[in-house]
Amino acid sequence: MMTFGLPKGRNLGPARDALAAAGMALTDLDSSRLRQRFGAEGVLGVEVEVLLLKDWDLPLYVEHGIVDCAIVGSDVLEETQPDVFQPLRLLDGRSRLSLIAQTPELPRRSGQLRAATRYPAWAARLLAARNLHVEVLSLTSSIELGPLLDLTDMAVDIVQTGATLRTHDLHEVEVLAQVAPTFVVNRASFHAHRRRLSRLLGALEEAGAAGD
Amino acid sequence: MKISAGLPTGVSAALFDSVKRRRRLEARLAALLEERGFGEVLLPILDYFEPYRPLLQGRRLEQLYRFVDRDGQLLVLRGDFTPMLARLLAPHLDDLELPLRLYYRGDVVRHQPLRPGRMREYSQLGAELLGGDRTEADFTVLTLFLDLLLQARGGVSPASGDDAALRVVLGIAGALDEPLLSAAGDGAGELALRIASRDRRAARRAGLAEVVERGYPEDLSVLRGAADAVTELLLLRDRLSAEYRDLGIEVEVDLAEFAAATLDPRVGVSAGPRGYYDGLMFAAYAPGTALALGVGGRYDRVFRSLSGDCSAIGFSFGLDLLVELEEVGA
Repeated sequence: MMTFGLPKGRNLGPARDALAAAGMALTDLDSSRLRQRFGAEGVLGVEVEVLLLKDWDLPLYVEHGIVDCAIVGSDVLEETQPDVFQPLRLLDGRSRLSLIAQTPELPRRSGQLRAATRYPAWAARLLAARNLHVEVLSLTSSIELGPLLDLTDMAVDIVQTGATLRTHDLHEVEVLAQVAPTFVVNRASFHAHRRRLSRLLGALEEAGAAGD
Repeated sequence: MKISAGLPTGVSAALFDSVKRRRRLEARLAALLEERGFGEVLLPILDYFEPYRPLLQGRRLEQLYRFVDRDGQLLVLRGDFTPMLARLLAPHLDDLELPLRLYYRGDVVRHQPLRPGRMREYSQLGAELLGGDRTEADFTVLTLFLDLLLQARGGVSPASGDDAALRVVLGIAGALDEPLLSAAGDGAGELALRIASRDRRAARRAGLAEVVERGYPEDLSVLRGAADAVTELLLLRDRLSAEYRDLGIEVEVDLAEFAAATLDPRVGVSAGPRGYYDGLMFAAYAPGTALALGVGGRYDRVFRSLSGDCSAIGFSFGLDLLVELEEVGA
C-alpha cells in the first residue's frame, strides 16, 4: 500500500484533477474525511490511502515517511525547505508571490521599509536577492491588512486573480516568484516505490498536467 | 542562576530499555565486524581544528563545534570519524600493514538544521578498509554493509512485486559533473541540487532525464569521463544483486542520488555536502525511515591531500536508525 497526502484548500482541486488525468481517479473522495482508502485499480497498481492534511503540515509528514508522496504548494516548500524529492510541478492551480503596496511603485521612506508576509524566510531571501533591505514581519492571515493599516509599507503574498488587491485598492508592485502545486516524495519511499512512482509521474506528464 | 531541566537543542538522553536494545544491537554488529577481521579503534572526542581545514569543506566544516580552550588552542568536538582516522593514520602509512580493516562506534556532534530523525548529537557505527585492490575492496565493504543491515534487521523479508523491503543505492560522486557543467555552466551546482531532488524538468533540460527516471542513462557515453566507472558500477550492482536479491535487498544504481556530492552552489565546484567522497558512494533506505540508514563511499582523495597514497573506502550507520529498523523487523 502507498500513502498519499493531498492538501486541503486551494490546491486540492488541481491536485485531484491532475491525478484523475493521469489515471488515478479518486472518485468518492470525501473532503471532510481525514483518511480514505482506494483500490488497486489506478495507475499505481496498489491500494492507496489518501490523507487530507493542511498544506503547511504536509512536508513534515512526507519528510517523516508517514506519507509516501503528496502534492504541496511550492510556496510552502520554499518557506519550510523540507528534505524531500520534488520531481514535478502541476500546471493547474498556479499563482504568484508578489510585492504588494498602496502605490504602484515601491514605497519610499527614510527609514527601513517593512513588509508583512506569511513567508518570512522565503520573502527575506527574495528581497535580499533584489538588494532590498526590508524588515519582514510575520502574519498568519489577511496579509493585505499590513499595508492597509500602515503596520507595514508593503506585503509579500500570493496573488491568484488579483481580486483581493482590486477590492482594497492595492497594487502589485512586482512579481517575486511563481507558485505551483508540486509533487513531493519521501526519499526512502522514492526508492521503495520507484517503479510505481515513475509510472504515475510519467502519466502526469503525458496527460499534460505537469510542466515548467 | 536559573538551571534548565531540559537539554540543549538536538541532544537527548537514552534511558533503560532503549539503552539495552542499542547495546545488544551494537554487540551483534561488533561481533560480525570482528568476525570479518575488522579491529575496533577508539578515537578522542576532542581534536585540533586546523587539520580539518583541508579535509572538510563547505557545510561539513561549518557544522563542526569549535571553541578556544584555556590554553588558547582552537579545538573541535568530533563531528565525523573518517577524517579523524585518516589524519591520524596518514603519517604512518609506511609502517602499517595494508589492507587495514578498522571499525568504530561512538557519538558525533554537528551543528546542523533539525530535521526529522536528525539530531545534533548522535551515535554512529562505521567501518573503514584501507589499501588493497580497489574493486575487491568495494565488493568486500559493500557485502559487509549489507550483512550488517541484515543483522540489524534480523533477516529481511523478501521484496514483494514492485516494492523492496530494503534498498541500497549505488552511485559515483561526480559522475554527473561534466554533463551538468556543459548544460549549465556556472549554474551547474544549482542544477545538481535540482537533479538530486529528482526534478524531472531540470533533468530533461540537461539531457539527463533517464538518470532521474531509472538511475542512469541508456547511453553511458553522455557521462564522458565517468562512463567507464559507471560500467564498473553496473557490474558491481549485478554481483551484489545476485547475492542479496533473495534476501530482500534490492541494489540499484542511481546517479541522481549523489548528483550534488561534488557540485554545490554554496562552495563552488569541488566540495558538496558529502565533499570528501571521490568515487563510489552508497546509501541504504527502508520504507518509513526518514533518513538513509547508512551512507558510505570511497575517499582516496583524503589520503592524497594528506600526502599519503592509499585507497580508502568506508561507511557509517546511524545507530538509532538501525534500532528502528530492528523494531520494524521484530
